[in-house]
Amino acid sequence: MHWSVKITMKFNVPIFETKFLHFVRQNQNIVNKVSLRINRGDYTAIIGPNGGGKTTLIRLLLGLEKPTSGDILLFGLPLKKFNSWDKIGFVPQRVTQIDLNFPATVIEVVKMGRIAKRGFFKKESPEDLQAIEDAMKKMNVTYLKDKLIGDLSGGQRQRVMIARALASKPEVIILDEPNTGVDAVSQQRFYSLLKELNEKEKLTILFITHDIGVIANDIDSILCINQGLLSCNSPHEAMSCSSMSKLYGIDAHIMHHHH
Amino acid sequence: MIEMFQYDFIIRAFIAGITIAILAAISGSFIVLKRYSILTETLAHSALVGVALGILLGTAPLLIAVFTALLSAWLIEYLRSFHNLYSDSILAIFLSASLAIAIIIVSLAGEFNSSLFSYLFGSILSVTTEDLIMLALFGIISLSVLLGFFKEFYFIAFDEEVAQTSGIKVKLLNFLFITIVAIIIALSIRIVGTLLIGALMVIPTISALQFKRGFLETMIIALIISVISVIIGITLSYHFSLPSGATIVLTILLFFITSLVTNRKLR
Repeated sequence: MHWSVKITMKFNVPIFETKFLHFVRQNQNIVNKVSLRINRGDYTAIIGPNGGGKTTLIRLLLGLEKPTSGDILLFGLPLKKFNSWDKIGFVPQRVTQIDLNFPATVIEVVKMGRIAKRGFFKKESPEDLQAIEDAMKKMNVTYLKDKLIGDLSGGQRQRVMIARALASKPEVIILDEPNTGVDAVSQQRFYSLLKELNEKEKLTILFITHDIGVIANDIDSILCINQGLLSCNSPHEAMSCSSMSKLYGIDAHIMHHHH
Repeated sequence: MIEMFQYDFIIRAFIAGITIAILAAISGSFIVLKRYSILTETLAHSALVGVALGILLGTAPLLIAVFTALLSAWLIEYLRSFHNLYSDSILAIFLSASLAIAIIIVSLAGEFNSSLFSYLFGSILSVTTEDLIMLALFGIISLSVLLGFFKEFYFIAFDEEVAQTSGIKVKLLNFLFITIVAIIIALSIRIVGTLLIGALMVIPTISALQFKRGFLETMIIALIISVISVIIGITLSYHFSLPSGATIVLTILLFFITSLVTNRKLR
């Protein structure tokens, strides 16, 4: 039984997997025995009320917080043994909190995506330079490369942060509320770009959002988190009023916005 | 002005000063961005405890200063990294405790006089050849670490958590960085003095930030300001018999005011 499971996993290793992941802070269950699986090529949204544990879940997956109990597996390996962090790109919910006076040009920020692999005193390789150029081109920020990060608009800054995450050529990218502080037009472009990255480059995408309606057609699955993982399978099932009420704990009604 | 170079002590002072200026500017850039500015004052006062012990025991004050600064640095970083305890209040406690201890030790040694004065405010007369050797040794190590992990320190200063999730060993590098800073501060005591080393580390970078450039350009501007200030400061110290720490810092402040005014006009 044991070795047959191993063989299966070799060919179909989930990118992220948790088993009864539990996190308690100040006597509150922030993440309540969550078991989930994110597979290669998934385009998954995480939704749920504020304070419901979405960001904490992400932070646990990335090793930024230590779980109270439960298992976390990245690419089939226990978190503690995982070392290929270049495979994971992370764009935190910080675009609006960045110190606008921090001396950083766009290219200096994107270059950060290639630092972890290089090590002591190592200079940029041709491969590094190519990856940086590709990432900037993909996010359409090449024309901004010498501009200071503080001089950009919210949407431009967002694209730069994503370019940095893409520079390490990750297999999965995690975004936490990527559209905070971004105008509507940029948001639209952003979602099209994500869809393209998912379809053409098989980039696995996991992101926390409040903007459920807009992306319902793009994504494969939704994880509804309110401490625990409520059962949400297809996006359209998740979109039903009863699911939303259960998730947000209020009497929810779906309103349709036209973009 | 050229005639001052006939004196050995002046040559030693310049060598020490320029070395420290370079180290202070580079480490200072990261310190300001990590919002560690007040930490330099705290570590400088911890170094003073080491100097005081050295005076009391009659042995190498600078070496003991490096030791006490390191202990202090590690304790502070440990509290910050593992217990999330980091605030002005904690640093203020370390700072005043160190100063109080240092003063008591020096009083016990009966040396509450000019030797302490030179450690507090710097003196170009006091750089010995042994000091230069220690400066060269620790200086090369510090510079290697700062340049070798330059990009990592930058990433950590920009966003510590994303640096961590991209695989950088943040805790380790933070300890390494604070170690280097403690060493540089202890080494700087001779020329700048413990009361003013913080200014040498921090103000050139703050001046450079007024130019609103990227990081590399900012650091280069800080480096230029730092080195020129030290050169001018030592020269003024020689000509007017003033403590070198004060003349250096005054020069830096002039640069700061100039960069502030110049860049206001451009905006």
